[in-house]
Amino acid sequence: MSCIHSLSVSRKTVFAGLLLLFATGFVPGVFVSSAPAADPLTIYSGRSERLIKPVLDAFTVNTGIHIELLSSGTTELVNRLKAEGDRTPADLLITNDAGSLELARAAGLLHPLNMREVERAIPAQFRARDNAWVGLSGRFWIVVYNTTMVKPDQVKSLLDLADPQWKDKIAIPNSGSEYLQAGVSVIRATHGDEKTRHFLQGLKTNAGSQVYQKSSQIVDAVAKGQVALGIVNHYYVYRHLAAQPTAPIAVLIPDQHEGGMGAIMNVAGVGVIKGTKHLESAKLLVEFLVAQAGQKLFADLDKEYPLHQDVKTDPALVERKSFRAALVPLSKLAELREPTLALIEQVGLR
Amino acid sequence: MSTLRHQLISPLQLVAMATAGIILLPLGYVTTQALSADPAVWSRLWATRIPELLFNTVSLAASVAVITLVLGVSTAWLVTRVEFPGRRLWEGALVLPLAMPTYVLAYVYSYLLGFGGPVEHVWQLVAGPEARIFSPHSYWGATLVMALDTFPFVYLLSRSALLSMNVSFEEVARASGASRSSTLWRVTLPLMRPSIAAGVALVILYVVSDFGAVSLLRYQTLTYAVFQQMTGRSDNTAASILSLLLVGLALIFLITERWFRQRSRFYQTTGRYRAPQRHQYGWLGTVVVTGYLGLIVGAAFALPTSLLIQWSLSPEAQATLDSRFFGFVWNSGILAACAATGGVVIGLPLAYLASRRPTLLNLGCLQAAYAGYVLPGPVAALAVLVLFAKLAPVFYGSVLILIVAYVIHFLPAGLQSLEPALQHMSPNLEEVAHTLGLGIRDTWWRVTLPLVRNGFVVAWVLIFLQTMKELPATLLLRPVGFDTLAIRVWMEASEEYYQLAAPSALLIVLLSLPALALLVSKDWRAA
Repeated sequence: MSCIHSLSVSRKTVFAGLLLLFATGFVPGVFVSSAPAADPLTIYSGRSERLIKPVLDAFTVNTGIHIELLSSGTTELVNRLKAEGDRTPADLLITNDAGSLELARAAGLLHPLNMREVERAIPAQFRARDNAWVGLSGRFWIVVYNTTMVKPDQVKSLLDLADPQWKDKIAIPNSGSEYLQAGVSVIRATHGDEKTRHFLQGLKTNAGSQVYQKSSQIVDAVAKGQVALGIVNHYYVYRHLAAQPTAPIAVLIPDQHEGGMGAIMNVAGVGVIKGTKHLESAKLLVEFLVAQAGQKLFADLDKEYPLHQDVKTDPALVERKSFRAALVPLSKLAELREPTLALIEQVGLR
Repeated sequence: MSTLRHQLISPLQLVAMATAGIILLPLGYVTTQALSADPAVWSRLWATRIPELLFNTVSLAASVAVITLVLGVSTAWLVTRVEFPGRRLWEGALVLPLAMPTYVLAYVYSYLLGFGGPVEHVWQLVAGPEARIFSPHSYWGATLVMALDTFPFVYLLSRSALLSMNVSFEEVARASGASRSSTLWRVTLPLMRPSIAAGVALVILYVVSDFGAVSLLRYQTLTYAVFQQMTGRSDNTAASILSLLLVGLALIFLITERWFRQRSRFYQTTGRYRAPQRHQYGWLGTVVVTGYLGLIVGAAFALPTSLLIQWSLSPEAQATLDSRFFGFVWNSGILAACAATGGVVIGLPLAYLASRRPTLLNLGCLQAAYAGYVLPGPVAALAVLVLFAKLAPVFYGSVLILIVAYVIHFLPAGLQSLEPALQHMSPNLEEVAHTLGLGIRDTWWRVTLPLVRNGFVVAWVLIFLQTMKELPATLLLRPVGFDTLAIRVWMEASEEYYQLAAPSALLIVLLSLPALALLVSKDWRAA
C-alpha cells in the first residue's frame, strides 16, 4: 500500500513538474541560455543576419556589451514594435530601408538623438531631422546582368526592363521587399503613377514566375544564366563576385542618361527605440556604427557605400562620384509608401 | 437540480469551456476582421490576387491528390497482396517520408532539379547541352515535393483497409469467373473507397495548409500569400481576408475527411474473417516491384537524407556546429516540450468531459478544439497576434503567444490519441473506485491517469514532434533569441546556402524517426 502511495506521489511530482515546465513558458526570457554579466542590447533587425551580425559581433568584442538579435522582415518588425508598444524588449531597430525607419519615427517609436558624433559622421540627407533614425550605409537599386547574354548598352533605364524583348529574361524581388517598394516610390515621384503602372505591368509580365524572396537568389539566377537580368541592391552582386570572382555578372547603374532620373538610392539605418532602458549602451552602438571603424565594416564586409565621407568604398565597386542618384529625398519614402503599395497591388505583383 | 448545478460549476467544465473559448476566439477575431474590412479591399483582392491564389491552391491540391492516390494505393496493394523478398522492409520504409518536413524536401529538390543542378547535368548528357528540365520552382515542382512527402497518408490508410478487408468478397468474385484485374477494379478498390477518400482528403488538407515547401519553391498559394501579406504590409486586413478563404477551403476538406473516415468504419466484415493470400512473384516481378518501391522511397527519403548527410559533413556545415547551434537545438526542444505539455494538459479536460459526460456543451467544446486543423500556421499566428494585441497586449512578443499558437494549431493531433485512450477505458473502473471509497481526486490520480497514460505519451510525443518542425508561426511569433532548428533551415535554405541548412535539417529528420515509429503503431493521422 505504501508502495502504491509513494508511486502516486512520484507521479504527482512528475505531473507537477510538467506543469511547472509549462508555466515557465509564460515568463519571457527564462530560457535565455547564456545571460552575460552586462545588460545585453536587444536589436530587431530587418537586415539579413549574414550582413549585420559580423558588425555587431565587432561591437561586442570592442565594448563587452552582448547583443540579442532578432532577424526578420523590416515591415514585420515595425508592425511588431507598434503592437508591443512600451513593453517591447527591443532597444534598437535596424532596417534595410529608410522609408520604414521614417514610418517608425512618424509612429513615435523612435528616440531622437542629440549626438555630435552622428552629425559629424553622417551627412544630413541620410538621417532624420531629429536624428531619430540614422543612415548607416548606402545602397543602389541597380540592374545586374549576365555578361554573356546582355550587352551593357541594351539597358539605359530601369523602365527599359518592362520592354517585351525581356520576356522571361528578368528576375525581380517580391512585392513585400522594402527595396522594391522604395524603388517604385521613387519612380512614381519622378515619372508619375501612369508611367509607373505601365512599367510594373511590363515587369510583371516579363518576370513571370521569376519572383524571388531574396536578392541573393536573383544574383544567383543571373550568374547561372537562368535569367539575363535582375533588379537588386548593388552589394549582392559584389558579394557574389567576392565569393566567385569568375561569375559572368556585372552591375549596370541605370538612368544615367541625359535627363534620366538617376540611380535609386536607399540607406540601411538604425534608430533607438523610445523608452529603451539601455539608452547609454544603445548610443554607444550608434556611435560605433557611424564611426570610421564601423563604417569600414559596412564597406568591406557588406560592399555597401559607407556614408562617412572619410571612409573608402571597396575598390571593386563603381566609384560613387561617377554616377548620379535620383533626387527624391529619403524621408519622402515614408509618405510615398501607402499609395505605392496600392499601385503594386492594383497591378497584382506577387 | 443539484446535479445540474454541480455540472454547471464543475471546475473541469469551466476549464474546458475556457479552453474552447480561447481556441475559438482567435478564429472569430480573424473572421470579424475579414468581414468588417473595407469592401474596397475585398474587391481589390478579388480583382488582383484571389483568383490566381485560389486556382494555384486548388490545382496543386488536385494534382497532388491524384499522384498520392496512385502511389499510395499501388504501394499498399503491393505490400499486402504480393509476396516478394524484402516485403516487410518495404512495408516500413514506405512510411519514412513522413519524417521529412516539406521544407526540407523542397530545399533538397530545388538543389537537385534547380537550374544547372545535378539532374539537369545528367539530362544534358543525354539530350544535348541546351536541354532544360522543368524548374522545381513551379507548379510541377511543388506537386512533386508535396506528393512525395504526403503519399504515405494514402498508403497507410489503404494498407490498413486492405489488411482488414475480408478476402471472401474477392474469392467469390474470382470463383464467379472474374479475372484478377477485374476483381481488383470491381471489388477490391470499391471496398477501399472510403479509406482512400479519407487519405486523399488528409493529403489535400496538408497541401492547402503547407507553408514550408511552397515558400521555398516560390509557388503562390493562399497560405503563402497570408504570410507575405503579414510580413510585407503594415495592416493585416488583406491577410485576414485571405485567411478566411483559406479556413473555408480547409474546412471543406476536413469535413470530407471525417465523413469518409466514419464511413470507412462501416464495412466491418461479418462472419468469418480470413487474411488475404499473398500472390508469390517470380524473379522478374520481384525486380520490377523492388525497382518501383525503391524509386519511390529513394526519391522521397533515401536520396534527400544522404544528401543532407553529405552536406552536413562539409567543412562549411561543420563550422556552424558551435554553441549557437546547440542553442537552437535547446530552443526547439524547450518550445516543443512546453507546447506538448500545454497541449496535453489542455486537451485532457476536453477529451475527458466529452467521453464521460457527452452533453451537447462538452461535445461542442471538444469539436471547437479541432479548429486547429483549419488554421494553417500563418493563420494561427495571425489569429493569436490579433487576439493578444486586443485582449492581453502584455504578452505580445513573449514566448507565451508562440506556445498558445502551437497549442491551438496542434491540439487536434493530441486529441486524436487522447480521445480514444479515454474512450477505451470503461467508466465502470472509476465507479468501482468510488464505491470502494476513493475520492474524486484520488480516483483521478490512481485510476484514470495511469490507465490513459499511453494515450498521453503518444499525444505528447505527437505535439512535440509537430512543434519542432513548425515553421510559419515560429517565424512570425518567435521572441528575441528563440530561433529554432526549423527557422535555421528555412533562413539558410531560402538563400540557397544548402550546406549550412543541412545539419539542422538532418537533426529534425533524425529526431522524427523514433516518433514516427510510435506514430505508425498508434495514430499516424495526426502527422
